Amino acid sequence: MNPILSVKGISVQFGALKAVQDVSFEAQPGKITAVIGPNGAGKSSLFNLISGAIRPSSGSVRFDGEDVTGRAPHQLLRYGLSRSFQITNLFFELPVRENLRLAAQFLEQGRGLFRPLARSQTAAARVDELLGQFDLRNKADELAGYLSHGEQRRLEIAVSLASRPRMLLLDEPTQGMSHGDTRETESLIRGLSHNHGLSILLVEHDVDLVMQLSDFVVVMHQGQKLAEGTPAQVRANPAVQAAYFGEKL
Amino acid sequence: MSNAMEWLQFVLAPQMINGLSIGVAVVLMALGLTIIFGLLDVINMAHGEFYAIGAYLAVALLATGMSFWWALVLTPLLMAVLGFVTERGLIQRVFHSKDRHTLTLLLTFGVAVVLEDALKIAFGANPLRLEAPISGATEMLGLFFPNYRLFVMLFGGALIAGVWLLVFRTSLGAIVRAAAYDRNMSASLGVPVQLVYAGTFAFGVALAGIAGVLLAPIYSVFPTMGKDFVLIAFSVVIIGGMGSIKGALLAGLLLTQVQSISSLYISPVWSDPLLFGIMVLVLMWRPQGLFGKLGSA
Amino acid sequence: MSTPASSSTIGPRGGALATASSERPRRSAATWLAILFFAGALLFGGIALALGDVFYLRLATEALIFGGLALSVDLLLGRVGLLPLGQALFFGLGAYVSALVLKNWSDSFWLALGVTLAFSAVAGLIGGLIAIRAKGVYFALISFGLAQVLSKVVYNTRELGASDGIIGVPSANIMWGVNSATPSGFFLVVLAFIGALYLVLRYLMDTPVGRQLDAIRTNEHRVSFLGEDPWRYKLGAFVAAACIAGCSGALYPMLRGFVSPELMFFQVSGNAVINVIVGGTGTLIGPLYGSAILTGLRSVVGSFTTHHHIVIGVLFVLVVILMPRGLIGYATPALQRWLDARRNQKENR
Repeated sequence: MNPILSVKGISVQFGALKAVQDVSFEAQPGKITAVIGPNGAGKSSLFNLISGAIRPSSGSVRFDGEDVTGRAPHQLLRYGLSRSFQITNLFFELPVRENLRLAAQFLEQGRGLFRPLARSQTAAARVDELLGQFDLRNKADELAGYLSHGEQRRLEIAVSLASRPRMLLLDEPTQGMSHGDTRETESLIRGLSHNHGLSILLVEHDVDLVMQLSDFVVVMHQGQKLAEGTPAQVRANPAVQAAYFGEKL
Repeated sequence: MSNAMEWLQFVLAPQMINGLSIGVAVVLMALGLTIIFGLLDVINMAHGEFYAIGAYLAVALLATGMSFWWALVLTPLLMAVLGFVTERGLIQRVFHSKDRHTLTLLLTFGVAVVLEDALKIAFGANPLRLEAPISGATEMLGLFFPNYRLFVMLFGGALIAGVWLLVFRTSLGAIVRAAAYDRNMSASLGVPVQLVYAGTFAFGVALAGIAGVLLAPIYSVFPTMGKDFVLIAFSVVIIGGMGSIKGALLAGLLLTQVQSISSLYISPVWSDPLLFGIMVLVLMWRPQGLFGKLGSA
Repeated sequence: MSTPASSSTIGPRGGALATASSERPRRSAATWLAILFFAGALLFGGIALALGDVFYLRLATEALIFGGLALSVDLLLGRVGLLPLGQALFFGLGAYVSALVLKNWSDSFWLALGVTLAFSAVAGLIGGLIAIRAKGVYFALISFGLAQVLSKVVYNTRELGASDGIIGVPSANIMWGVNSATPSGFFLVVLAFIGALYLVLRYLMDTPVGRQLDAIRTNEHRVSFLGEDPWRYKLGAFVAAACIAGCSGALYPMLRGFVSPELMFFQVSGNAVINVIVGGTGTLIGPLYGSAILTGLRSVVGSFTTHHHIVIGVLFVLVVILMPRGLIGYATPALQRWLDARRNQKENR
């Protein structure tokens, strides 16, 4: 099976700091691939490189066979690659419904730009679907900024899914979450992958979660790829254990 | 060969010296603007008006019979008070709002409108002339340079050096830079942040005022002089990098040189468009200007 | 987690947007305030006509023309979130183009307007390509600088009348014998024009395009991750604003018979921004109210003293500090609450 995401030799440098050095890996369609690593490993930079937030100094990113290296975020979405944000990056002054509608408008493919909103029925239907799927229906008319932390995280993921992407990039989705919320998010992510066949790439700090959830794990350390494999393989890898010295695997 | 030497001596050099005397005042004004931005994160659209008020104050003080030298000392002190009051009374009121950037921009813009008309009311719409306190010229390099311009260069240069020392070599300067860098931390370390803000704004306004006094005998004094000058002040600050003292210094000197030398070849009508064009190009290619923020000089 | 605790002090509140998206057949406060404005204007026109007045009709027409400029500023400031300090550039250019067409080509209202529209679109595109890359104060300064520079160029161009401008512009023929020389007739034409502009803008705000502009104002960074290139929308809005300003400016020589470089000066740009802030940024009808009230105020105060700027300036500073959402910005939710209370009362009977 062809990988849905193929990263080859990607690197980026910030001044003298080699944040990401010659990293390569593949993510399979319909599977959950996770990138982990201790602090300063370069996970965030790698994530930003793949999601189009920054441009690599070398290397390539291929999505479903197409070269998308260095493309801007709005172009990546057209290929089917969407991302969510670690620090919720919502439209806080707008209602929940509007947040979702803005994201779902993508489905209209540029139709009805100058028509009244009611005409964008595909988008409206998608908003309704998402409100139900993410249990936000009773908050639909609230301003996004007034939601609780957990609700905002759910909305954040809902917004990144609205365009029906083929692959979702999740940036530390359980950051700062309580145990209960983390479990909820875990089942949400698992559901997305198993029930909807969505390919997921996730960057995470919570190693336990990653081990339980992922099909494939890539370990980064000091800007380079240290190891990769199934959770079991990675857990047993002595180099990985050494890098995480002191942390439970 | 001697033609080139003559051109250098009799055409270029005088222009450059002239440009330097203007440049020094422009740098002072730009320093005030960039310090206010660097610390308070406030774009002071009224900065040009404070420059004008400095010039008008000098005219008024001289009319009471005071000597130019006393006026030169007194004006920045009075301007500092005005700046202090403006910061505490007006700017602080919108400082804590979520839309702070837009609101302070609009607020200082409104203050500029009020101040410009206030000057017109107080002094009339006609341009006023201020006699240069030093007359005569000195011979240098076979040419005669107006003594007053030489004075402006020396005095202004000394003042700029003084500002530099104050910001980077004194504990007061360190306090100000700390407050710019991390407000909450500084406050919890006992720094009176409110006072620092108001004082810094006052200082920036005083610098604009001094520039006004220095240039008053060179250009005439008229109510819209602030608006005319504000574009060059902002151009300098943007090209130099908002918040950068080094940037304000270099860009200020460079741009005024460009202005003087170009006036040899193009009509003065095109001098502003030229500077503006340079500013736009810099913004497009390197939006942060030549250098970074305050504290990085 | 972020909360919009103080919400945006400028620009339409999320609440107003929420109401609009669940639009019911009954009219909202915003609509009532718009109806009030245009009905009031018609009433004013009727009374003035009955009294045979000319001065106030022309003043009101001028207020409406500058209202068009205010609308163009509000599109940028209230919707996209960019502060234009040089919008008078397009207004003045539009005035000059219109004057030249009327004087040298044809006295057709429609031709003058059409040529101005085309010219403004091109000018807006060029200006936009320069200015749109910048944000915040940089955009404001580029906008300011463009106007300063070009107004100086026009001021020094003899072919355009230099500092005197162009005088002796004939009145424009609109249709069925109505021309811009008749005060009441032209007042109605301009009112209709501004009304049409308002309706188009109001309509656009509830289309995907308009909502995209709101999204850009709220969180530009995220917009690109939702599949749209914000740059294109901002440029489009800038060009549209230039056209609105230009076409409003085109009406000026029809009213006054002349144009001068002063129409491009900062005074005009500054006044437009003041009109928008006082009236209510982002409300679209607010800037029209602001323009009407402040033009009247400037005229009244101006008849007592030449220093009306300081009065307006002080008023503006007070508004920015005390009521930054402007007149309509506060009146709309207040009126909405009253309307909702009345509806509840009726339903409970």
